Amino acid sequence: MPDRPVAPELVEAVWEFLSTEILPTLGDQRLKFRTLVAMNALGIARRELDYDEPDLSPEDLRELARRIRAGDVPPDAHSTLKAHVATKLRVSNPAYLEKYE
Amino acid sequence: MHLLAGGASKEAWAVDADGEPLLVRRAAGGVIHAATLSLEHEFAVLEAAAEAGVRVPKPVAYLGELGGREAFAMERIDGETIGRRIARNPPLGLETQLADELAKIHAIPPQRLPFLRSGDILERFYGELDSVEDPHPAIEYGLWWLREHRPEPLPEVVSHGDFRIGNVAVSETGLEYLLDWEFAHLSDPREDLGWPIVRAWRFGADERRLGGVGELAPYLARYAERTGIDVDEADLHWWEVLGNVKWAIGCLTQCRRHLTGVDRSVEYAVLGRMAAEMEYELLSLIDA
Repeated sequence: MPDRPVAPELVEAVWEFLSTEILPTLGDQRLKFRTLVAMNALGIARRELDYDEPDLSPEDLRELARRIRAGDVPPDAHSTLKAHVATKLRVSNPAYLEKYE
Repeated sequence: MHLLAGGASKEAWAVDADGEPLLVRRAAGGVIHAATLSLEHEFAVLEAAAEAGVRVPKPVAYLGELGGREAFAMERIDGETIGRRIARNPPLGLETQLADELAKIHAIPPQRLPFLRSGDILERFYGELDSVEDPHPAIEYGLWWLREHRPEPLPEVVSHGDFRIGNVAVSETGLEYLLDWEFAHLSDPREDLGWPIVRAWRFGADERRLGGVGELAPYLARYAERTGIDVDEADLHWWEVLGNVKWAIGCLTQCRRHLTGVDRSVEYAVLGRMAAEMEYELLSLIDA
């Protein structure tokens, strides 16, 4: 068992550092943009650390990909895939899913 | 003389030659994507586009190798190029101006640019997807659907290859320049026509179907008027799915530049997690 801060708390600390101490000092637009990208990456990592939704296993994904490529598409493939991709989006960009509500 | 942007495969240098503002594009160290043109060919495309009256920065000279890497010089232009800013406040008439430029590009005789590649686009996508290695069944589903619903092809034209908001410069009065010709190739004209309607290129202004800047109807009507190629919104559905498959794969392959160490960059890294957005969009489009 590690001492605190544990991984999510460390990620938050770095995100807060970039947001409050680095971002306001940047004049260069390109650097500002890349810093926002870096903060976004930390946001994804932070959500992933709490991630415990059931999803398709790597073996399931490989088998499904193989069957679809071969034209042997399972009847429920579309709904299975939509649920799988939504699960990924709840980690990578939860706000994106709101566009479809 | 100063460096404006260091990209993965291209550098852009601002140079003033006898008071004339130039931009020198030079190959960078990174591995160049298989689908991109050499700078010599990109310059030839820019010249052909300028001759055809397309609004492009004036091509000045192909410079051969500069310090071991090929380069060319063109006019250095002003104008807004950031997609999000253009979509926030699009100039009036941009839809028809985009159609006008596209019609001029598609009228360039293919024999003028004999080096442009052609070939089956779905096969190319399968090759790129396989280079990623990790399985992506949602993209496979999109490719399968595209295979099953392939439209009758139209005769191939010279295409820009990355025709969208983000690769244009605009002023308050509208479209000024079309930029970034490195993906030019021969294709069905609907590939270019449908690319700017992909949701990712609406830059948050989702309600304006054409690149976040306007409606589809005036764009398609003007294109038909200029080319005689009549494409309606329903015809573009297949190409919109294709565009989402293309950008999903593009995100994954660009992310691999980071992961494999070819080009370490946090921007490339996060693209790997953005692919899911196009996967969701293509599944939603197929559903509809």
